[in-house]
Amino acid sequence: MITHNMNNEPIWKSWFARHGAKLLLFARQQSRRPDEAEDLLQEAFVRIWRLYGHTGEVAPGLVYRAIRRLAIDWARSIDRRKAREDKVALDSPLSFSFDRTLEQDERKQALIRAVERLPAEQKEVLTLKIWAELTFDEIARTLDESLNTVASRYRYALQKLKDWVPEEMQGKPEDSSSTAS
Amino acid sequence: MNEFEKLEEELKELRPLPPSDAFTARLEEALGDAGNVAMRCLPDREDDALSNDFIKSAEKQVFPVRLLIFAGLGSLGLAAVWAAIFYFSSSIVPSGSSEQNDSANLLIAESGPVPEVPGAELREDPNSPLHGISLKELQDVSVMPVSGWIDPQINERFVRKVDEGVFDRPGRLPARRVRHYFMDETLWSHPASDLRILSTTPREEVIFIELETY
Repeated sequence: MITHNMNNEPIWKSWFARHGAKLLLFARQQSRRPDEAEDLLQEAFVRIWRLYGHTGEVAPGLVYRAIRRLAIDWARSIDRRKAREDKVALDSPLSFSFDRTLEQDERKQALIRAVERLPAEQKEVLTLKIWAELTFDEIARTLDESLNTVASRYRYALQKLKDWVPEEMQGKPEDSSSTAS
Repeated sequence: MNEFEKLEEELKELRPLPPSDAFTARLEEALGDAGNVAMRCLPDREDDALSNDFIKSAEKQVFPVRLLIFAGLGSLGLAAVWAAIFYFSSSIVPSGSSEQNDSANLLIAESGPVPEVPGAELREDPNSPLHGISLKELQDVSVMPVSGWIDPQINERFVRKVDEGVFDRPGRLPARRVRHYFMDETLWSHPASDLRILSTTPREEVIFIELETY
């Protein structure tokens, strides 16, 4: 029974160091409030690790899926008034989820703003593909959608980003409600 | 180059912020004992070296057992073939015929005297596994009792279990692969002659446990 890696730290820590940032980004997108994201990630990770952590290697897709399922469960459990309040928090800036050293780069900032404008269902596919590095098949299972649906959403997202980044750089973004599909 | 490749590269350059140390500490507390029960094979660890030695020694032990089984089965097969050749060579040529030709005489001369075996005629023995050979003949040739064996006792002995970790499977849920090592033992007993034969066969079973989300 081996519980620690070569650096004499628990295996879960090295696993979390590899996947924690990506998982937290996804949890931020899925949660209703920014401060709920960590709770969501903690709950999902602890549940999965307790079940399968003894193997020393847990497929990250399982944790992404658990985060999504929990987010849905939690959203159902809150009352309507709270949901209205939290709706405001849903649109918290995505830029807070990325490394701040990138702020100097105007194009990257424009890119983040363009990602923020994407519809939620395209944003989550983009997040899972680009930063979580999941395959379309894994994304489809995580989101309980068909393979074609997630592949289409990804392509639509990239197309919109391609169109929107120049607009963002010129400071003339279109109304996101009119462009979101 | 794909029209979106450059865009994808730019997106990948955006690095998500890592979780804070405070959050990691909180996670550690929430995990409790679950954070310290991971099992994993790391080849450069002493424990695994020991484990590998155990596997190698087990393989070394298994090899002679297999060799003995194959040698035993081979000997039995050879004995059966010799018994069949011996029987047919003696029964095809009629021993007391006056109309036999020279070649038949030669064959009899080379074969020597045919042993007097009761029931050696070409009669079917319904209990014999070989066509044209009675159980008694088979027993005389093989020097092993043919009838009188009681039903074999079969014992499945569990040796050990190895958790080989989580594997991704294309188009399916990832699964934990667990390998079970067994030693199957079969014991034949012949009470009349107090003869017992033990056969052992190593066996592996691989079980895939599909991982669920929660």
